[in-house]
Amino acid sequence: MSDDTPPPETPPGDASPSNQQPAPHPVRAALPPLIESRILDEVTHGGQTGFIVRTPDQRAILEHLRFEQNFEFLKDITAIDFLGRDTIERFQVVYVLYRIPDKLNIRLHAWLPEEVESVPSVVDLWDSARWSERETHDMFGIVFDGNPDLRRLLMPEDFPAFPLLKDYPLKGRGERRQFPLVRPRGNEMVEDAPLPYPVSIGRGMHTPEYVEEVQRESKPRKK
Amino acid sequence: MGLESMIGGEGFLTTKINDLVNWGRKNALWPMPFGTACCAIEMMATFSGRYDISRFGAEVVRFTPRQSDLLIVSGRICLKMMPVLQKIYRQMPEPKWVISMGACASCGGVFDTYTMIQGVDQFIPVDVYVPGCPPRPESLLDAVFEVQKIVSGEKLDSGKHGS
Repeated sequence: MSDDTPPPETPPGDASPSNQQPAPHPVRAALPPLIESRILDEVTHGGQTGFIVRTPDQRAILEHLRFEQNFEFLKDITAIDFLGRDTIERFQVVYVLYRIPDKLNIRLHAWLPEEVESVPSVVDLWDSARWSERETHDMFGIVFDGNPDLRRLLMPEDFPAFPLLKDYPLKGRGERRQFPLVRPRGNEMVEDAPLPYPVSIGRGMHTPEYVEEVQRESKPRKK
Repeated sequence: MGLESMIGGEGFLTTKINDLVNWGRKNALWPMPFGTACCAIEMMATFSGRYDISRFGAEVVRFTPRQSDLLIVSGRICLKMMPVLQKIYRQMPEPKWVISMGACASCGGVFDTYTMIQGVDQFIPVDVYVPGCPPRPESLLDAVFEVQKIVSGEKLDSGKHGS
């Protein structure tokens, strides 16, 4: 039981007052003991249960859930960056599964150490993992071993960073200013080198004087 | 009914060629809509019957930049879209004018993040900015009037007209 996750909630109307230990989740109870023993923790929030494991133990559990327990729909793969939090590892890779006949959601959280860059891909289990893994790779830089086409999905292909990492600044490192300035000069179009931000060639909305005025009048945000 | 009744008499008038060309251009702006977000919905409302931009001669909406002379940038422009916008701007023939419609196109709006362009005027020239989030169709109509004022002040031998 790690102390970074909230204690499991008791499902309403499920546990009797005398019974201190709630019954295990049916999905967890159906796992083989060898696999089940790798589950570190179980979290229930809003009626949805999540199991917490360490990479790469999630691969065996996902295979079992796919083929033995018939979770035919992989809703999403994402990741969480716990930088600066008191957790056992920095990253969590999260798999959200769905079983259509009984409308059952299951999450699987896999702790991923910062120094380990790759996790096993699940493309062979669910085809929908292709783009989910590409998006997670695009945002966090996590490599999914076995994904046949692990290119960036959302950001430009030459983007130099992984923007959802917690140590990446919200406003970027200047990538959004790296365009040439296109403007007509006479009868020809010219491209000037990028100008220092902020700059304006229109009607003076972003002149340096304007920005100084805004910075003078705006107060720092309270914490 | 129209111009001929104002001319009257012998049916001719004297004017400067500069004024005549500008008069024709400002009353026949052909917009190129570059709608990427909710501002485009207001732009569509401006083009359609209730607000009817055709009352002011700008109803010929072309989805190819090579046939238009007024670029309306309406919506968020992200890192991947800016090269596209620049390419479209370069493809438009001279003379051309640009309206930056709404807060996002003009200054990034509330989206001050790593992937949002903080104002398209950093990378292409903008003639008229429209404030609002999104602006009302009346605001876009007013911007078209502003562009018409700019057009009527153009000189034929200036670089803008590609002499």
